[in-house]
Amino acid sequence: MNAKNNDSIVISVCTGTGGVATGGYKVIDAFKEELAKINSTAKVGPRTHKVGCRGFCAKDVLVDVDINGEVSTYQHVTADKAREIVSSHVIGKEPVNKWMVKEDYHNFHDKQQKLVLADCGKINPESIDEYLAIGGYESLKKALSMDPEEIIDTIKKAGLRGRGGGGFPTGIKWESCRNAKGNPKYVLCNADEGDPGAFMDRSIVEGHPNLMLEGMIIGAIAIGSSEGYVYIRAEYPLAVDRLRLALDQAREHNFLGENILGSDFSFDIKIVLGAGAFVCGESTALMTSIEDKPGEPRPKYVHTTDKGLWGKPSNLNNVETWANVPMIIEKGADWYASIGTEKSKGTKIFSLVGKINNTGLVEVPMGITLREIIYDIGGGIPKKKEFKAVQTGGPSGGCLPVSFLDKPVDYENLYEAGSMMGSGGMVVLDEDSCMVDVSRYFLDFCKDEGCGQCTPCREGVAQMVRILTEITEGKGSLAHIDMLEELAQMIQDASLCALGTSAPNPVLSTLMYFRDEYKAHVVDKKCPAGVCRNLTTFIIDEDLCTGCTLCARNCPAGAIYGEKKEPHFIEQDKCTKCRVCYDSCKFNAVKKG
Amino acid sequence: MAKMVNLIINGKKIKATAGSTVLEAAQKEGIYIPTLCHHNALDPEGTCRLCIAEFSGSIRDSVRISCIQEVKEGLIVETETKRINKSRRLILELFLGRAPEATAVINLAAKYGVTKSRFMTGESNDCILCGRCVRVCRDKIGVHALCFINRGPARKITTDFERLSEYCIGCGACAHVCPTGAIKVEDKGDQRKIFTWEQVTARFTLERCEHCHKPFAPKRYLELINKKAYNPKGLELVDYICPECFKKHDRVSDKRREGALRKAVNKWSVPR
Repeated sequence: MNAKNNDSIVISVCTGTGGVATGGYKVIDAFKEELAKINSTAKVGPRTHKVGCRGFCAKDVLVDVDINGEVSTYQHVTADKAREIVSSHVIGKEPVNKWMVKEDYHNFHDKQQKLVLADCGKINPESIDEYLAIGGYESLKKALSMDPEEIIDTIKKAGLRGRGGGGFPTGIKWESCRNAKGNPKYVLCNADEGDPGAFMDRSIVEGHPNLMLEGMIIGAIAIGSSEGYVYIRAEYPLAVDRLRLALDQAREHNFLGENILGSDFSFDIKIVLGAGAFVCGESTALMTSIEDKPGEPRPKYVHTTDKGLWGKPSNLNNVETWANVPMIIEKGADWYASIGTEKSKGTKIFSLVGKINNTGLVEVPMGITLREIIYDIGGGIPKKKEFKAVQTGGPSGGCLPVSFLDKPVDYENLYEAGSMMGSGGMVVLDEDSCMVDVSRYFLDFCKDEGCGQCTPCREGVAQMVRILTEITEGKGSLAHIDMLEELAQMIQDASLCALGTSAPNPVLSTLMYFRDEYKAHVVDKKCPAGVCRNLTTFIIDEDLCTGCTLCARNCPAGAIYGEKKEPHFIEQDKCTKCRVCYDSCKFNAVKKG
Repeated sequence: MAKMVNLIINGKKIKATAGSTVLEAAQKEGIYIPTLCHHNALDPEGTCRLCIAEFSGSIRDSVRISCIQEVKEGLIVETETKRINKSRRLILELFLGRAPEATAVINLAAKYGVTKSRFMTGESNDCILCGRCVRVCRDKIGVHALCFINRGPARKITTDFERLSEYCIGCGACAHVCPTGAIKVEDKGDQRKIFTWEQVTARFTLERCEHCHKPFAPKRYLELINKKAYNPKGLELVDYICPECFKKHDRVSDKRREGALRKAVNKWSVPR
């Protein structure tokens, strides 16, 4: 027993959804068990605590071992590894180097600028005391001593813009809601994150719910609201649990409820669970859903800040926007405005997914280039493949080609390029991705998730999906491309809500930057990326094939023949175009054409 | 006097009552704007999107729909520009692909030069999901017998759990407002059936008129009128005179009853 009794030992185990899914709770139990054995007499007992997601979910379960302030991070920790870490690192003072995080972990983190996520992954999201210990709710106290107009001015000066997609200036929204006639006024939080592959809002709610709540309370002071709602999807059970807990604890500390902290300001927040419709992320649909009606957008040309929830002035911001508020109040507008570009201030969280080495959440200052995000932080494309495009802004964003890699990322640049910031999804595509197929996938998502009220979106998007499917099946013609463009233009003009007007973005942006690929599909009847089955043939290059038989063994259709150490060949009638041979060949002998 | 505002639609200067929609203002002035989902008796829902127009002047330049946008001082509306008609033709083409046999759709499409559709869905369904029936049943009759189910392209109009409706009173208002005839009311002898395209939605026995003894209305419908009409003394107001007989027999013996009945018919529901 070498562990000194007065050692301060803190073990932080990631228990975001990624951490829990990879066995985070078992790891915690193993640590607690082992530490209980050695430390019964220690003065400062070791603490094992849950922390939220720190972004790099591909390496979960991530564990920080902090002994007297010296932090070592372990990746892919299991219960067995946890026991060994205790015996050799905590007791023996010998860090287990082979399980420690490698260079890629540091590269991933070092280039980021973490403001919102700064404490995510460091503090226990289930304990308000840990947040209070690092200065939590101090901004609320400060805000209570400020005039509401002063708070709005600070937010305006800071240049904070909505992080949910549109990028509307938050301060101006608050101001118009404050000035709107009607009582009561509502403060709403959109935690209905529905983009495929995006999880920044979930991570904040799971990893640091109090930050968002504090932002909402400050917003309520500024707007003059006494009632708030968090609309969160029921598919986020862990986030919902932690949010409930955070609300209870905040009420105990009188950060919520009657006469908050002795002032004459009263405010409380309710949780509303969404049933998982993507369209409920649209502001009016979200409000009708809170009103217990079907979640369908309202066709009104009146701002929700004037007539929103139950016809009353309502201010809706998403989780990330609210989470930005406390630090602006704490550190001031000038500090915040110094980060980012001229028109886009602060940082933005992106979820980096797709064909990229370091999958995870990254928080970067606005104005960083796509190249820095994808190559420096993301570690580039796996298997040294070529970068082809990055799809930003969720299913209704656009695909940006190589030429945009060095453009700074901000609201204006992305919009001009035919995409959008969206909530911050970033799907990286490599040379093996077919752009027609990609846009078909995203459009199909919008087709199923639209509410079905208005004709352009319901019928038009469905027809676009049909046309794209025909193109990928080899039944396309140049007339198909014209139809796509006509429909896209009409849908953008005539749809009822933002889901409809932005649904054609993936098609329009790929038509703009990858038109050749569409033409190859409809004119040459070839899929250059080898994805569309009807338009692809796989052949084995006799000169390159070494006859290793790997492809023949892997082929599920039994379509590959050949003697050992002799060139193989593919029987085209049997081939199902599953790409297994292409992906498994170590000599690049399988060619697509 | 209601406040009036000045606006320009298709180059014509007009005055309209503040609070009315652009579509209403245009209709009053005899300016035609096509629509399939709008009905003057119903609140607009803005779903067919045929009444799109280019707006400028006192609001930012944009394409909006005229059945929802309220009139505004200094508003400039163009309803038949190249851009608008291109979109409108496409919407009509989409409608035609969905409901190739619906006369209202065929006629309106022909008016804009669309005679065939590149977007055939392969099934023919006269319902264009304009929602007029749902709105009249919900907002005007107040019985909620019809509803939308599913979302996206799977959306359709039906009764609860797609069964014969328990709530339907057989008034036939849905069929009356349906622009394409997708909902039909069929009276045969003393039986009434309501169809929402091919499927029987409700079935009723009709009550007979006291005077002419012809079957004329379902009992639940008459009961609802009784309940909703201005009827402070709880009189049996409407038992059983059909509209024709009511018109003919202007002097029904009981004067008191006649007066109340007139009020009921005129006002339909709310007492002053």
